[in-house]
Amino acid sequence: MSDHNAPDLNPTPGERFTHFLKRKDVLETLGWAVFYTAGFVVLGGKFYTKWMPAMMSTDMRSIERLMVIFTWIGAPVCGFVLSIATYTFRHGTRGDTPPEDGPAIRTNKLSIALFGVASSILALVAILYGLVELNSASAAAAKDAPNAMVVEVTGSQWVWSFNYPAQGVTSNELMLPINKPVIFKIVSEDVNHSFWPVQLGVKADANRLQTTEVQTTPDRLGAIDVKCAELCGLYHAYMETNGAVLSTTDFNNWVTAQGGHQA
Amino acid sequence: MTTLDSRVSSRPIPNPQKSLITKLNAGTGLIVGLIFALGTYYLLNNHSSDDATVNFQHYNRTLFASMIMWSVGFMLGIGAFIGPWRWLIGKDLSAEEQLYMAGDGQGIKRYFKYCTDHKVVGIQYLWGVIVLLGVGGTMAMMIRTNLAMPGGHFITASVYNSLVGLHGITMIIAMIIVATGPFGNFIMPIMIGAADMAFPRLNALSWWVLFTAIPVLCSAWFLGGIPTGWTAYAPLSIQAGPGMNSFLATIVIFAVSTAVAGANITATVVAMRAKGMSWNRVPIFVVGATISVALAIPAFPTFMLAMIQTVLDRTFGTTFFDANFGGSGWLYAHLFWIMGHPEVYVILIPGVAVLMEIVPVFVRKPLFSYTAAIVGFAGIAGLSVLVWAHHMYMSGWMPMLNGPFMVTTEMISIPTGLIFLVILGTLWKGKPWLKMPMLCVYAFLWNMLVGGITGIYLSDVPADNYLHGSMYVTAHFHYTLMGSALTGAVAGLVYWFPKMTGRMFNERASYAAFWLIQIGFQVLYLGMFTAGAEGQPRRVVDYADTFHVSNMVSTAGAYAVGLGFIILLWGVIHSWRHGKNAPMNPWGAKSLEWTVPYPVPLVNFDTPPVVTSDPYGYGKAVK
Repeated sequence: MSDHNAPDLNPTPGERFTHFLKRKDVLETLGWAVFYTAGFVVLGGKFYTKWMPAMMSTDMRSIERLMVIFTWIGAPVCGFVLSIATYTFRHGTRGDTPPEDGPAIRTNKLSIALFGVASSILALVAILYGLVELNSASAAAAKDAPNAMVVEVTGSQWVWSFNYPAQGVTSNELMLPINKPVIFKIVSEDVNHSFWPVQLGVKADANRLQTTEVQTTPDRLGAIDVKCAELCGLYHAYMETNGAVLSTTDFNNWVTAQGGHQA
Repeated sequence: MTTLDSRVSSRPIPNPQKSLITKLNAGTGLIVGLIFALGTYYLLNNHSSDDATVNFQHYNRTLFASMIMWSVGFMLGIGAFIGPWRWLIGKDLSAEEQLYMAGDGQGIKRYFKYCTDHKVVGIQYLWGVIVLLGVGGTMAMMIRTNLAMPGGHFITASVYNSLVGLHGITMIIAMIIVATGPFGNFIMPIMIGAADMAFPRLNALSWWVLFTAIPVLCSAWFLGGIPTGWTAYAPLSIQAGPGMNSFLATIVIFAVSTAVAGANITATVVAMRAKGMSWNRVPIFVVGATISVALAIPAFPTFMLAMIQTVLDRTFGTTFFDANFGGSGWLYAHLFWIMGHPEVYVILIPGVAVLMEIVPVFVRKPLFSYTAAIVGFAGIAGLSVLVWAHHMYMSGWMPMLNGPFMVTTEMISIPTGLIFLVILGTLWKGKPWLKMPMLCVYAFLWNMLVGGITGIYLSDVPADNYLHGSMYVTAHFHYTLMGSALTGAVAGLVYWFPKMTGRMFNERASYAAFWLIQIGFQVLYLGMFTAGAEGQPRRVVDYADTFHVSNMVSTAGAYAVGLGFIILLWGVIHSWRHGKNAPMNPWGAKSLEWTVPYPVPLVNFDTPPVVTSDPYGYGKAVK
């Protein structure tokens, strides 16, 4: 049994923690951890906002927000891993003789428990956040569905075609009116394709004889790139077309010019 | 164990000329294989009909059968069936014949024979991996060269699509065997104190069957290539030209090889460990390799099944995957990804396990929490069979299940975190010996971090709405498979090179290769992440001008990686021939493979070792 009057020999957890925080290696590692975490928070946020294209629907905005927030959730993980890596790398041994043995630490229940809890919480946050976004997207879609415009999208090797049944228009360009919910009903005439109007933040495969549906509401004027995101044979790379989100008047004019009628 | 006892003796073979075994080698295999293939082709290809569909089916039938018969013929010609034939007539190989089959004293010739020595098989796998990585890497360079500029003028769309698919499947095959092939066969039995694998003849079988798949895969080039990518989605694969048969036959042959190898490695680890090597003393690489192949055993049969169904659709007019007649492309996607997602962990786990084996040696500390490492591997393996449909979020198959698959997928980050913890805990308070294998550990930490975190974006359904099928996915999985698993295998190559060749790996070459590969790798895939974020689909021969900068950066990085691998290859060849002679235990490691001399004796240990602790007994007592 240890002496009660000698706190050095039997420190309380609080004292041990204070002592731990004063250690040189811990301080340097903590410094690196802060550096890397902050770096990922700042740069991680900027990467996606810089490189992702124009956001023309709520779905697309939600995607960019998700990417940024996931980067922030990942930042402390990066800080933890990279700080220990950097510290030990800086204090590594070079040369042809192996270094002296380090301390024979085989396990440490406290650090495993802390790490397990922390990583589970981060995973849980990511999962819950994803589920909430998924749910709010489908809830919004369900609310908007009754007054949505239908566009039938047909993929065939290697052309997209768009049919507007209510307007009686068929086109190879995807024109959409602003702030009008739209349901894409997607089908393929041959092999699998994947319908990807890039700026709208939705995507769905075109399958033979199976209609897939995806819904969004364009809320910004501008050009849309429509691409195929599933390898579909020889000219997969060229299976792309243009489109645009137009004002309601422009869209109606376009429909008329195509020989259609107002829905 | 009479087999082993007889091998211990070095008596000359009484009359080796008498046995058929002595006359067979890869050359006779080649001849018989070609006779079988050409014979099959000649016998079947006599059908002509006015119906194009019938002709198409018949031609595919002929080609596919010829390819399979090539493999069967090769195995017959190399002598794989002599043992089973003897059993059939109620006999077995004599002790002398078995000793001959182990390649005892046959020098370099044994590498071209049906040799049962696990060390020979390990070296055969090593060269198989090098050839496959070389071929796959060359294709990658061609792909990147074509993508350096918009316009895609360097190669045609048809060749490009074939390159994408063949690069993919070549690399997948290479990566599946990259660690478990060379190190699992050469090093692992010595690590556990065994005299050989549990089934030495099956071991030879697994290698040579795999070998026969290589020319089959290459034949795709001469049959018009494959248009489908390595995923070979139906119905694209049904309408594909004759080159598709090469792909399908390759997978069928490869699945046989992995099934045999997987059963063999598992049986060896379960049944052949040295006295005293209880489960908590098994080196972590052995644990990782076993979990990996055990995961492959249920995974690959579904791949083979999917391929055979594709073959039937193409050759006999069945309609498993043809929606026009009641089939479903989704069925194919399910079968493929039920194999495909466990398969990425089949690739990843052994590479990580190699690094875990390396860390304690170079940090001179015990592996931090052996239990956490095993829980991590087992957790990843267990969850990996429940996540496959995250590849199908956008397929329209069943959107209501996207949420559950998102949950299982993101849960994989928890056991993956344990893997990090084990390595970081081992590093902590250590002063790592920064030799090339140790540098690979650091590269792994960074690459797996990037691969893991980008994996969380992709597993998230809303974010995947944007990222699915884009270059972002390509960059992500190269970070995990190449940046993590291949880095682990390269570390293992340099680490175990002294034991496998008796020579030290050229240090300068190892450092030069390491830095070129790793820095080039970051540039290459940073460019690709950016292209993906900008909205470039994957597997495209050409792209819009907006993606030009990202792609040019990516290609520049790719050339650095390519140069790095050329230097690494030079290092392998040069060190093998002229390297410094290696001491028995150059790294001061404590696992059993470092207790045997080079060349490793035929039965590895003169006296069977007795194990009294795990191989991580480094370190000063903790105060």
